[in-house]
Amino acid sequence: MYTLLPVLNVFSRILFAFAFSFLVPLAWAWSEDHEQYRYVWEGAFALAALSGLAVWATTRRYRRELQARDGFLLVNLVWIVLPAYAAVPLLFTVPDIGWTKAYFESMSALTATGATALSGLDSLPVSVNVWRCFLQLMGGLGIMLLVVAVLPMLGLGGYQVYKAETPGPMKDAKFTPRIAETARGLWGVYFGFSVACMLAYRWAGMGWADAFMHMCTTMGLGGFSSHDASLGYFNSPMIEAVATVFMAMAGINFVRYFIVIRSRSLRPIVRDREIHSYVTVLLVSIGLIASLLVAHGVHDSAAEALRTSAFHVLSLATTTGYASTDYAQWPVFAPVLLMFLGCFVSCAGSTGGGIKMVRMVLLIKQARRELVRSIHPRVVNPVTMGGTVLPLSVMNATYGFMLIYGAVTMGLTMLLLFTGLDIVTAFSAVVATVNNIGPGLGLVGPASNFGVLGDFQIWVLSFAMLLGRLELLTVLVLFTGSFWRK
Amino acid sequence: MFMPFLRVFPVLGAIAMVFALTMLVPLGVSLWTHDGAGTAFPLAMLVTFMAGLLMRSAVWRVGPRLELQTRDGILLVGLVWTLLPLFASLPLLAYFSGTATPMSFTDAYFEAMSGLTTTGATVLTGLDALPGSINLWRCFLQWLGGMGILVLAVAILPMLGVGGSQLFRAESTGPMKEAKLTPRITETAKGLWSVYCLLSLACVAGYWLAGMPALDAWTHMFATLSLGGLSSHDSSFGYFQSPAMEWVAIVFMLLASCNFALYFVALTKRNPMRIWRDPEWRGSMALLIGSGLFIAGLLLVKGTLTDPAEAVRTALFNVVSIASTTGFSTVDYTTWPVFAPLFMILLSGIATSAGSTGAGIKMARMVILFKQAKREMSRIVHPRAVNPVTLGGHVVESATIFSVLGFMLVYGGVIIGLTLLLLLTDLPFDTAFSAVVASVNNMGPGLNEVGPAGNFAGLSDVQTWVCTVAMLLGRLEMLSFLVLFTPGFWRK
Repeated sequence: MYTLLPVLNVFSRILFAFAFSFLVPLAWAWSEDHEQYRYVWEGAFALAALSGLAVWATTRRYRRELQARDGFLLVNLVWIVLPAYAAVPLLFTVPDIGWTKAYFESMSALTATGATALSGLDSLPVSVNVWRCFLQLMGGLGIMLLVVAVLPMLGLGGYQVYKAETPGPMKDAKFTPRIAETARGLWGVYFGFSVACMLAYRWAGMGWADAFMHMCTTMGLGGFSSHDASLGYFNSPMIEAVATVFMAMAGINFVRYFIVIRSRSLRPIVRDREIHSYVTVLLVSIGLIASLLVAHGVHDSAAEALRTSAFHVLSLATTTGYASTDYAQWPVFAPVLLMFLGCFVSCAGSTGGGIKMVRMVLLIKQARRELVRSIHPRVVNPVTMGGTVLPLSVMNATYGFMLIYGAVTMGLTMLLLFTGLDIVTAFSAVVATVNNIGPGLGLVGPASNFGVLGDFQIWVLSFAMLLGRLELLTVLVLFTGSFWRK
Repeated sequence: MFMPFLRVFPVLGAIAMVFALTMLVPLGVSLWTHDGAGTAFPLAMLVTFMAGLLMRSAVWRVGPRLELQTRDGILLVGLVWTLLPLFASLPLLAYFSGTATPMSFTDAYFEAMSGLTTTGATVLTGLDALPGSINLWRCFLQWLGGMGILVLAVAILPMLGVGGSQLFRAESTGPMKEAKLTPRITETAKGLWSVYCLLSLACVAGYWLAGMPALDAWTHMFATLSLGGLSSHDSSFGYFQSPAMEWVAIVFMLLASCNFALYFVALTKRNPMRIWRDPEWRGSMALLIGSGLFIAGLLLVKGTLTDPAEAVRTALFNVVSIASTTGFSTVDYTTWPVFAPLFMILLSGIATSAGSTGAGIKMARMVILFKQAKREMSRIVHPRAVNPVTLGGHVVESATIFSVLGFMLVYGGVIIGLTLLLLLTDLPFDTAFSAVVASVNNMGPGLNEVGPAGNFAGLSDVQTWVCTVAMLLGRLEMLSFLVLFTPGFWRK
């Protein structure tokens, strides 16, 4: 029997480190909430730190270097157990929340989804909103590590493509040095952008608390807000512009920035095929939706239509999920296109969710190749990326990912339909959570929230967020028999 | 002039001329029953025959002993399925121009395409009042379409290697390794069409014994065997209110969802076990019958129906009808709990076997995909394990798997693209999505406006054309039609 204990040991250290993040809302509770909720944050800190220590002490004897299989378990443990700890303070601070919604909320935060089950955000204590948003920033950190350092090692879903270009010791089979190296490089860039983003929000007219919270949810491409009306609350073109720019930047692979800074040349970004497609798709969609809005008379001036369109395209396509108006009221093509964009636009190595642009590029190249092959069966035309031929295993893994992505989306939609939800709500809720976008359509549209759903439906969607964030296979592989076999 | 283009014309001409002759069937019925559609058919026949003759005359340019190549095959298939609906729409146009409600060309072409692709979506209402020969023609088109598909799926597509259809080659009849199209097609046609005709006769007899009038029996047999689903009644099979007829329909829809080559092999080898052992056959049957019973249970639990026997029959009929891409209905199943209709639509994409007259992804591809997904999962844990995908004991080549995956990709892309296109014309989401899925899978009714209680008449011209293209794409397995639009195809 395969033993969990060495993984638990590593996990206990992560949990212990995670405990310190409770100090952030604690600080805000001191300054903004008149120390009213101090005990909640202190208690949560103590709970996480002590249970981390306890697990560490009991599993100390089983320490060993982690292997690929342990990696899967660890990643799952982190994203399943940390939301539970993160949910505890919500139980004591948000009226009538209950376990289901609290867990959903913190899962939504840590997976940088941005789907909320709460209403009346404006009247919540500042420290609670800070906590929800700060979790998204932390989720973003975790995702970056996951995608750039962990998943390629596991050979998952075609991420081997990135093996060749990530910073740090590539061929090293051991996790720890690789992860440490990556963390240093990427997190540096991430924090640099975060500070710039916060200052920009402050300059555009937000208060410090709002600037901090919205910075967290912008950089994590999460989309939580401290207001029910999301960014629409501020009603400020300036703030929307800042958000648009930083979402666009956060939707790009952070490894690229890292390389740009290290090599002091813009070439890695300008020459990148994934970024080309990213920019092209975004520009075309912005134009398309803007002209639709003008044609249907939603906006009279082209400039205003362009601004609204740019903000919402960026927000949904990068899987952030801010809204400044109820875009579900737009002509039906627009909201559906926005959801669809959320499925694939963000780049791998960003904090966005979904299929990722790099896979899309690969798939389109492969589809084109199949077309050529049906005319010239004996032609040799391997799929290339940036000049190098991709091995068959990468294509196989990419396809495997797509298959399971389609099956999961369909399966979970059928499950929700079975509970009696209508098709638009069920399908959009699944798409919004599997791709970690946030708002869906119908009952769970931008003007509403996920609190209207039943408990079972909320648990299904919590699971969907987890699946999407961990690129499906990481979770599903735990359900295969061969994983647990010796 | 590009040579392949010219080379296919004589063949196309011959097909058109034969097609003109098939109009004798509704013409005969019309004359026999004096139903007032008499002039429509001779006119259409004449035009079609002359057009065929004209195309046939290209033979003087290319010489009589031409041999078709792969590329010609792709082009021919594309042209057959775009031109024949044109000819097939002529009788409809001619008949309706004489009535108070003339039919637009868009609608007539849609109806004919829906017939020849065995889809079963209709833009006509008041079917019961139409002349018997017009209804017969609509359904007879489906039967002819079914014949075309059998040859297409078993003899032509595998040669072209479209979407992993190499898979289907193993079971097909006739000389396998033969590189030339013509002998292969003749051989296949002989075998499969004889099975098809035998089953058709059995089906007519079944309907007739169950009490259907002779003309209706023939009309509905045409729509059943081809898994088409057009009917001569607005309320489809619900018109008859006859359990016996419904059971006959269930049995023959199930039979027609299987690979006809399998029947042929079993007949010639006198070994019914061949059918039983086929993994695709098992998959299709288990899924169709299992889903029918599952929905029956759902209806009983939710209290939609209370009598178990009726629930089983009604659920089986409608589930099998939609899942096998037929599209008959006895009740408005969109009033069932919302899970049921969507589940049925989902099934329509996957439940039928390759080499049947059904459409969609096909069970063979699903089996491959399922095995491939399983293999990728185990590869994550054991990266160096060698575990090839097998089907019926044979290892499936990785090129084939890639074709199947490529097909899925294009299938998904087409559905999303066409749905977005329909949304752009301001159709509601569920109508748009279900109309596209119903058309691409050649199933027929969708949901809401285009559901079993409505039809496609409410769509605008643009929307109707989008659905027409969707039916064509679905029938030709996407790639064999899309490839015509790549520059590589037209290059020397």
